[in-house]
Order: sequence, then structure tokens, then C-alpha cells
Amino acid sequence: MNDMTRPDATDPPYLYPGYRSTTLRAPKQPLVQLPAGTLDVPFATVGKAFVKDGDNDLTVHGKAGAPLGERMILTGRLLDDTGRPIRKSLVEIWQANASGRYHHGGDQHDAPLDPNFAGLGRTMTDDDGRYRFMTVKPGSYPWPNHPNAWRPQHIHFSLLGNAPVQRLVTQMYFPGDPLLALDPIYQSIPEGARERLICRLDLDAGVENYALGYQFDIVLAGAKSTPLGI
Amino acid sequence: MPQRSPSQTVGPYYAIALPWNDGGRVTGCSGERIVLEGHVRDGTGQPVPDALVETWQAPDRDASPSKDGRPHGFGRVSADATGLFRIETAMPRGPVPYLDVTILARGLLRHLHTRVYFADEARVRGEAAMAPLASSPRLATLIARREGAGHYHWDVRLQGEGETVFFAT
Repeated sequence: MNDMTRPDATDPPYLYPGYRSTTLRAPKQPLVQLPAGTLDVPFATVGKAFVKDGDNDLTVHGKAGAPLGERMILTGRLLDDTGRPIRKSLVEIWQANASGRYHHGGDQHDAPLDPNFAGLGRTMTDDDGRYRFMTVKPGSYPWPNHPNAWRPQHIHFSLLGNAPVQRLVTQMYFPGDPLLALDPIYQSIPEGARERLICRLDLDAGVENYALGYQFDIVLAGAKSTPLGI
Repeated sequence: MPQRSPSQTVGPYYAIALPWNDGGRVTGCSGERIVLEGHVRDGTGQPVPDALVETWQAPDRDASPSKDGRPHGFGRVSADATGLFRIETAMPRGPVPYLDVTILARGLLRHLHTRVYFADEARVRGEAAMAPLASSPRLATLIARREGAGHYHWDVRLQGEGETVFFAT
């Protein structure tokens, strides 16, 4: 049985009253501990055909040209907690445009949509666990959690890993963002672990006179399972 | 050793990227076709229209690769405005069949892991993996109700009365 308020030193608790939506959605009963390995069952990998050329470049899908905003290249590795690369694994991202507006009907923030930016990307990691995206830096936006609540700039990540035990959905933040100190979603992560979600400026990953580089590694739980071939 | 990346909520706008075309129709699994439907509800019993439900099961060993690269044995579907989700798949293999299930939503800072069984309670109670729940009435929250040939219903209650059992990972 887990302590629901502080389940471990890495993940946020389910109930974090500063983030209001947790109040009615966080389970109140303790999580049940299954026998070790129960969720460490192999998962059929995603095939190459699932990702098309260009799916990792969020700047080339506009009919009328390039999206507005500060162009950036984001690279990193997907690893397990023993440091092994997670190879040929799907990485999915989504984000707001440079003005802080999502291409989603539910987003009513009064900031312009960009007809040249849908804000989604996917790629497969290579044999070294590496991934790479070209995109624009997302803007901050207000949300109705509390008065004057603004989310820090962030990119959402979804990782499947090789087994259900490795599933992870998270958000990547940017260094030096003054909104991090005020954001309950970021602050819900235990102290000492939060910083793992902040990417690093990496000029070498960029392209001179074209795009700034950032670097962000993602570490999933360890799994004994290796992917099932498909 | 690198340290594990913390989880964050999937937020309200994941539909930009995560729901796949036909994601609720599971491929690569042979056997009796089944439909699993249910509602995801919050602590007051209100629907969770922005829930994302994923199901995991072992595909056939000899399944040929899917043409579009989708992983076999995996379902991913958004709930609708009433919190209803629908997965079409094959009855999972094994004497006491089940699907592993992941629930994600705005307001969930970490996803939830649970399981849905397609078997009567006595058999589920005898499962080695369910030993921690062997004497708990809450075990019943993990069992789908058969509503007709190949049709099953299973509700997920995130909190409150009839709260679904969720597992630590």
C-alpha cells in the first residue's frame, strides 16, 4: 500500500489541492501493490510505418508557409533507469503555438491560432535511444485554476516504452522560466525531482542562424521485458 | 544511474496528438470478438469526458505486422462527452481473461493502472496476481458485466463510492 500524499520521491501525488482538478479525480483508496513483475509484460512495438517522414518536424505542415515563433530543435535520449537506451520506441509530443494557443476546439484562450501550426509530432527512437524534433517554442497561456494562473512554457510528451510498467506521460519545461515557481502542476513534483523535466540549452544541437537547440533526456522505469517483434 | 522522469498530467488538449485513427479497434488478436464499453466518472459521479483509456493484451505470436505500424494488442480511445469509452478487441487469452488498463485525464498527475476481468468473481478471486484483494469486496470493481453475446460493460470510478481498484506500479 502506498502513501497517497507522497508516493515516492519522483512522481507527484494524485491529490494536490493546488491543482484543483485533482480534487475530484484523485483516488482516495490506497493503490494496491501487485506481485512484482505483474505489469512487466512485453508490449508489441510500434512499427516503422507508424511514423512518416516529416512527422518529427512540426514546422513543415502549414499550407501557407512556416509557423510563427522561435524555431527550435529538441533532441534527447529515451533511457531506462539503468541507463540502457530504449530503442525503436514511439515518442509523441503536442504543444501550444508560439502565442500560447492549442489547435484544439476546447482552447478558448484569446490568442491567435496559427494556420501553419498544428502542434503535434511523433518519432521513433534510434538504436541509441535518440529522438529529434524541429518545432517552435510554445507560448505561455492562462488557465482557470486560480487568479492570474499562467502555465510555464511546456511541451507534452507521451512514451510507451516496452511494457505497461514503463508507460509515461509528462511535460518538458524550459530553463529560467519564472512561471515554474508559481505553477502547481510543476510544483506537485517532489522537490529534487522537478528539475529533471527542465530541458537544457544546447547550442550544438541547433542549426546556426536557423534554430536554437535544446536537449532533454527522458528516463522510464526499468523493465525486464524486451519488445515483442511485430 | 539516471533518475526516472516524473509524471505530469496529460492535460485537456491531448486529443491533438494521442487518439489514433481507429485506436479503439485492437489488432493482432484472434478469438471471440468482444466489445467493452463503460463510463469514466469522478468523485461526484460526474462523467470524465476528457479521459483517455488504453488497453494492453498479448497479441497472437504469429500475427503479421500491421500495415500501418500500429502496435498489436493495444487499444487507445478517448471518452466522449458522457465519459463513455468503447474498445473492440478479441477475448484475451488465458483461463481467467483480462485486459490491463491505463487511465489518463486532466487532473490526474499520474496515470492510473487497473485491470478488467472477463470471468466470474470466484475465478478472479483465485488469481495469484489478485492475492492482495482475495478477501476484499473491492475486487468486484475489476470485473466486467456481460450484457449479451460479446458485449461487456465496465465502469471506472476514479474516486468515491465504488471506487475502482488501482494498482501501484
